[in-house]
Amino acid sequence: MAETRLIQGNEACALGAIAAGCRFFGGYPITPSSGIAEQMVRLLPGVGGVFIQMEDEIASLAAVIGASLGGSKAMTATSGPGFSLMQEHIGFAAMAEVPCVIVNVMRGGPSTGLPTSPSQGDVMQARWGTHGDHPAVVLAPSSVGEVHELTVRAFNLAERFRTPVILTYDEVVGHTRESVILPDRVDVVDRPRPDEDPGSFLPKRVTPDGVPPMAAFGDGYRFHVTGLAHDERGFPTQDNAVAGALLTRLHNKIDDHLDEVADVEEYMLDDADVVLFAYGIVGRSAHEAVRRARDRGVRAGLFRPRTLWPFPSGRLAEVTAGVDRVIVAEMNLGQMISEVAGAAAATTEVVGHLRADGKPITPSELLETVLAQGGDRP
Amino acid sequence: MTDVRKYLREWAMPHVLCPGCAHGIVLKSFLEAVDQLQLDQDKVAMVAGIGCSSRLAGYADLCTMHGTHGRAPAFATGLKLARPDLDVVVVSGDGDGLAIGGNHLIHAARRNIDITVLLLNNSIYGMTGGQVAPTTPQGAIASTSPGGNSEASFDPCRLLTGAGASFVARVLAATPIEMTKTIVEAMSHPGFAFIEIVGDCPEYFGRYNKAGGGAEMLNFIARQGESVAVPLTSKRFVNHVPAPEPRPGLRTGVLNREIRPVYSGVRGAVSDEA
Amino acid sequence: MTTETKGLILAGVGGQGVILASMIVADALVRAGHDVKQSEVHGMAQRGGSVFSHIRWGAGVDSPLVGQGTAEVLAAFEWAEAIRSVGYVREGGAVVADLRTIVPPGACQDRRSWRRGYPDVDPELFLGRRVKSRLIDAAATASELGNVRAANSVILGAVAAFLDIERRHWEEAIEAMVPPGTAEVNLAAFRAGSEASDARIPGRAPEPRGYAGPHLIDIRHDWCKGCDICSRVCPEFCLEVDPRGRLEIVDHQACTGCRLCELLCPDFAISVTAPTEQTPKPSEAVTNHG
Repeated sequence: MAETRLIQGNEACALGAIAAGCRFFGGYPITPSSGIAEQMVRLLPGVGGVFIQMEDEIASLAAVIGASLGGSKAMTATSGPGFSLMQEHIGFAAMAEVPCVIVNVMRGGPSTGLPTSPSQGDVMQARWGTHGDHPAVVLAPSSVGEVHELTVRAFNLAERFRTPVILTYDEVVGHTRESVILPDRVDVVDRPRPDEDPGSFLPKRVTPDGVPPMAAFGDGYRFHVTGLAHDERGFPTQDNAVAGALLTRLHNKIDDHLDEVADVEEYMLDDADVVLFAYGIVGRSAHEAVRRARDRGVRAGLFRPRTLWPFPSGRLAEVTAGVDRVIVAEMNLGQMISEVAGAAAATTEVVGHLRADGKPITPSELLETVLAQGGDRP
Repeated sequence: MTDVRKYLREWAMPHVLCPGCAHGIVLKSFLEAVDQLQLDQDKVAMVAGIGCSSRLAGYADLCTMHGTHGRAPAFATGLKLARPDLDVVVVSGDGDGLAIGGNHLIHAARRNIDITVLLLNNSIYGMTGGQVAPTTPQGAIASTSPGGNSEASFDPCRLLTGAGASFVARVLAATPIEMTKTIVEAMSHPGFAFIEIVGDCPEYFGRYNKAGGGAEMLNFIARQGESVAVPLTSKRFVNHVPAPEPRPGLRTGVLNREIRPVYSGVRGAVSDEA
Repeated sequence: MTTETKGLILAGVGGQGVILASMIVADALVRAGHDVKQSEVHGMAQRGGSVFSHIRWGAGVDSPLVGQGTAEVLAAFEWAEAIRSVGYVREGGAVVADLRTIVPPGACQDRRSWRRGYPDVDPELFLGRRVKSRLIDAAATASELGNVRAANSVILGAVAAFLDIERRHWEEAIEAMVPPGTAEVNLAAFRAGSEASDARIPGRAPEPRGYAGPHLIDIRHDWCKGCDICSRVCPEFCLEVDPRGRLEIVDHQACTGCRLCELLCPDFAISVTAPTEQTPKPSEAVTNHG
């Protein structure tokens, strides 16, 4: 029976993970993400799962990948400095196609930065932090309820596409308590399993879907897993054609299914002259700013991607056609704004409302920007 | 006598390792142990890091993983916690396990998680071209210590004993029967088991230090059981480094064995998961 | 007074229970009112090496060590140990020897022939020693009594026949020293031993079945990298890497099947197997030494 509960964002994350079938958590303490670990250690034993606090964030994601290879749905959670350490294994998980969920509760950086003030300074790192060409699936919830919903979604996408999925929100979302009604049950997706004979099993078989079925270690299939470029047998290769085809497939398995991955909240966009582009906690301020701007007669709208990566370029181009200005509001010195500028129509002016001092962007200050940008139309 | 080649991915052979490199002897010895223990190949996981030693995993017809540099104990920890039904063996090298992965190794030992670590010590970084390693003897030549290594080296067995490894042994790659026996003991040990396997790198260590090829180096290791270093001449030292004392004989065999609680993570009393 | 002091030697190999047997003897002697000293040597005992025990007794004993040619009795639990220690026995003394032979690994003198250096079971080997001898098959006697592990008590019984100690002292010592629950069978074994006559000496045991003749050396040239380890470790110089780096078998007949090359090949390129029925081994490979 669904009931109203007052919970923190980090708690919602843990509850979402358990609901999605997460049975392994490996992590390392760091504010403001530690609350997730402190919930998971209490929740996992009751559902037959395992918790371990590892020696650092590198090891944490390694243990998560190890558990996932053993067949468990697995997750880790961290914040900026730890997220930097995890980049190595985000790349490994992408290359080896090991489903896992990495939660990054953003705080001010660079380096130790501004613990534990909110920030959105890691969104480009979430896309490009690990070296080499790789796909990225990054989700950005803006409320406690959405943290729960998108944590489940993160697991489902990770399993569906055999890929690491990053769930990133800032310190404010992580530490905010909100009353939410969590669903009694959620839709859960499990990774594709092989059904062929172990003798003919190819761990990286190219399927029409682009996602090879995945066996767990110990379940009767013997295979090799490597972070080196590899062939369908999972064995390292120096063959350029094979390596190139692998990288292309890793991208295509996501890009060919953008309809399953993309997720945007659109608010009052139909007749908008000025569009606010915002995500995460800023999306909530933007929502209110749009409403108050409308009250003042300015036709403002909100474009809030809940899936940050892959970037919703196509949809953004559609909705900005004929729009005079897009205001990109983010708690950094300009990260997503370049993506927006690249995607928006050529006639659309893209301006930033940027802030990176550890303070959240308020609705009032955004309203001022909207009025200033939207009020000087001819 | 079983031909352990049946445990190989024959289609992947021959392996990538240089002529005379003892790593292949270690793989054979390990597979012999798997055979003696009559393990189900589906239930043995071999987890490796990066480096020459770590390439071995790819050739064993087991559940094998070739992870990231130094992190194999962490991958193995997650895998073992999720799948206690698996025998998990880490294969690592001296650079992989003691330099970049030292932290993971000592923490796995501290927890006493039930995995076995084979650390193949050839005293040098082979895959990257013969750079100085944490186990390179003082004075020895490497591509990044052309005047002779001025750093002290680790004794892996003492390090791991200090970290709490409940089974610590050292064997020589030149004595494969003893090696197999020790691997069998290690894999039968409840808890964290560590074996340092002293081997050769003829391609780099041997060439740089004029220690000969695989046969000479293995012969040296087998006869002296002391050090993989060759007798070093004074010209090989940078000026401020004193001439090395002869190292005491390498102790081989099981050096530490104790029974203490095996770590299995924070979990419920009864697991309803596989 | 040394003239009144007597000595006894017990000799066997590790694992046979020689020490316990000597403690029983010493205990019986104490019960009989003697001053007793006992000393033992068990160096490589756990690997089947020699274990022996000296016992001296009398009115007043200073040293536990029995001098050469002075022992009343040698109790040998293993045949080669009997030969090895017979020099301790005084003229007119006695040797009680079990027929058991435990051939140590080092007795294999030649892998080509499997010839071994182990003495035949033959009391003639005591020649030159004027001693009484009693050869017994302790294991068989104990087995008949229901517990082969009581074999040492059979030997002690045979020893008792040569010593002037009252039977009750022996029996009290056995009861006190043997593992709980085995007193009865050990006492029975002791009595059987004291009544035992010389066992029939068996024919020479067959040579060990080791086959050291030419083995099949299989080389996977597609895996071999010509590193030369195999040819350098082969004790019989069967293998050679030619100047082009190709490994060749140069003396197939010389292979004894030691497998060193296979074990030390890093490339899984060699396997050594004994010949099958289809490839009969040359007769000269097996040489019997009578």
